[in-house]
Amino acid sequence: MTDTHESVFNLTFPFSRTLGSTLSTFFSALAQGQIIGVRTGGRVIAPPLEYDPNTGADSGTDYVKVGPKGTVSTWTWVPNPTHLHPLNTPFAFAFITLDGADTPMIHMVEVESESQLQSGLRVEARLKAPGDCQGRIDDIISFVPATDPSPSAGAGEPYTPPAELEITEMDSYCDLNYVDNASPSTILWMNALMQGKMIGQRCPSCTRVYVGPRGLCCVCAVEMDESHLIDVTDSGVVTNFTVITPVQYHGQTETEPFARCSILLDGTDAVMAQQSILDVPASEVRVGMRVKCEWVPEGERNVDDIDNRGRGSGGGCIRGWVTTGEPDEPAENFIERMM
Amino acid sequence: MARSENDIAIVGFAQMKPERRSQHTETEMLLPVVNDVIAQCGITKSDVDFTVSGSCDYLSGQAFSFVQNVDAYGAWPPIRESHVEMDGAWALYEAYVELLQGHLDIALAAGVGKNSNSDPSTLYTIEFDPYYLTPLGADPWSLAALQARALLDSGKASERDFAEVVAANRARGKSNPNAQVTGDYSVDDLLSAEYVRNPLRKHDLPPVSDGCAAVILARGKRAYDLCENPAWITGIDHRIEAHLPTMRRDITVSESTKLAAKGAGVDKDPIDVAEIYAPFSFQELIIRDALGLSDKTEINPSGGSLVANPVMVSGLTRVGEAAKQIMNNGKKRTLAHATSGPCLQQNIVCVLEGDK
Repeated sequence: MTDTHESVFNLTFPFSRTLGSTLSTFFSALAQGQIIGVRTGGRVIAPPLEYDPNTGADSGTDYVKVGPKGTVSTWTWVPNPTHLHPLNTPFAFAFITLDGADTPMIHMVEVESESQLQSGLRVEARLKAPGDCQGRIDDIISFVPATDPSPSAGAGEPYTPPAELEITEMDSYCDLNYVDNASPSTILWMNALMQGKMIGQRCPSCTRVYVGPRGLCCVCAVEMDESHLIDVTDSGVVTNFTVITPVQYHGQTETEPFARCSILLDGTDAVMAQQSILDVPASEVRVGMRVKCEWVPEGERNVDDIDNRGRGSGGGCIRGWVTTGEPDEPAENFIERMM
Repeated sequence: MARSENDIAIVGFAQMKPERRSQHTETEMLLPVVNDVIAQCGITKSDVDFTVSGSCDYLSGQAFSFVQNVDAYGAWPPIRESHVEMDGAWALYEAYVELLQGHLDIALAAGVGKNSNSDPSTLYTIEFDPYYLTPLGADPWSLAALQARALLDSGKASERDFAEVVAANRARGKSNPNAQVTGDYSVDDLLSAEYVRNPLRKHDLPPVSDGCAAVILARGKRAYDLCENPAWITGIDHRIEAHLPTMRRDITVSESTKLAAKGAGVDKDPIDVAEIYAPFSFQELIIRDALGLSDKTEINPSGGSLVANPVMVSGLTRVGEAAKQIMNNGKKRTLAHATSGPCLQQNIVCVLEGDK
């Protein structure tokens, strides 16, 4: 019996973002070793934006060469970089106003220690080699203290983009880690499944029975706990289904069309969703079919895949459902029940 | 002052005691708080004409968790409902506007956040500019620290001032049963701690909290059926600045708070109590300056968001605490402030008044 359970999961998904004309111009110039800004509303914004944030007006195409040197106006020190920071040793974030620009940018400064940082520090950009640039702001690897603090040569001069822009998209990844803890009602469900039992909670107000426990009745807005638990049978009826043609995304183990069914256990009011029928082809699954749970043998069960996110999931405790051979249940026996 | 049918009041407020780590889901946290605030007003859920919540699916990492949270309202028969991906203070603003239209009488606004599932130093990188900030892993602690350093360099505040804000709030939090981090701290001890992001130390950052809160609003004379001393919203305004902190004229002042305070009529009469949502200690100094409060205004008797900071809830809690000062403590005129976005990007100011 467990009374705590944590599930660790990583949320990762890729984006390919189109950059639009202004940012494509910026990142394409960067891949040629040139940092640029745009002159709009009487000032040079660098890196450029498509619009003037003060007015919302189109920034236009009056591009200007800026940097590669600039001046720090505020800074902080990151002593323990996370997996999302491009640098893996301690570094500074800073506002850096590039020579030729009127507004600062946020970027990283690499120095030995934070004691070297101060407002007014002259720094210089370190760029990736042209072939390594990916249309990302970390194509500027970082800034380092300028060896020669004098103004950048050519800063403020007009920049004419080429007719064809080399970079028009950027790739980025969302990569977040979570540690969720199973709620009390989820833990009750896990423990019952490990014992080969189906359980539900009966609402003290409307008497609806939920499988598995949810901790509340969503019709009456009433809290439920261990005192509302009841044992329920592990047989029931298919109330709905869908047939899925699998796409071979990462983690998909099915190769042929398969059915996922809603199953209402006898004497209950809320279905178990997304269940599979083991002994009938997907094309022959039908509403009203009587089914019974096929448990994983005791000792081989696990609840590794059960968390707060999948109500009624059987995890590694049930194999699925098999038909009982009984006559189909008439619809009037299971209408007006809940998802 | 006589109230008209176009006046909207806060008539009830309930909150869960914020915890570092709740065992419950957002829905399970929310349900008892919703039931509590409805019971306080002597009504039932069927009397609530409109429900709106503020939450963020990325906090718990569960897609459509805001839809599951509807289960906490007992949404059958179907209810009028809305949601903002913002702090509950913005949900309250929507409820206020909904009632102003004059068709509905009672609204419930809630905020809920299970913050403990994720790491704030990585999670919020994805809410920033996807081209120029997210790829750098620019995190909210670093962005706040850049603002703090600029404030120090401007000469308007010192690191000791930051620590004094922390010590004062944690001491006031001792009398708040819903505070999470409280106690008596010496400023010198606080200043001896290591930096997390120079010049910010751990105590300058908000605690990680799971929690939720809910308020009931009522329109016109209906308010008196639900509450003896309604907290009338006599002014509410919210303003937003450019998303990139580098595009603001001066990051050490909050222009949006100044404008919202003017719009809400803060300066028309003295403010007895102000509840300020400053997630980072030094931001309280910036907001106090922008609100233009006199020395007589009591700041954050609850201890503010440095003693508990359930993200998506903390702003609404400020409104609820300011309303409680009128509903329960007999104060005449109070103020609530809430913020959202990097470096105080957007700000709501709400002025509340009692009849007495």
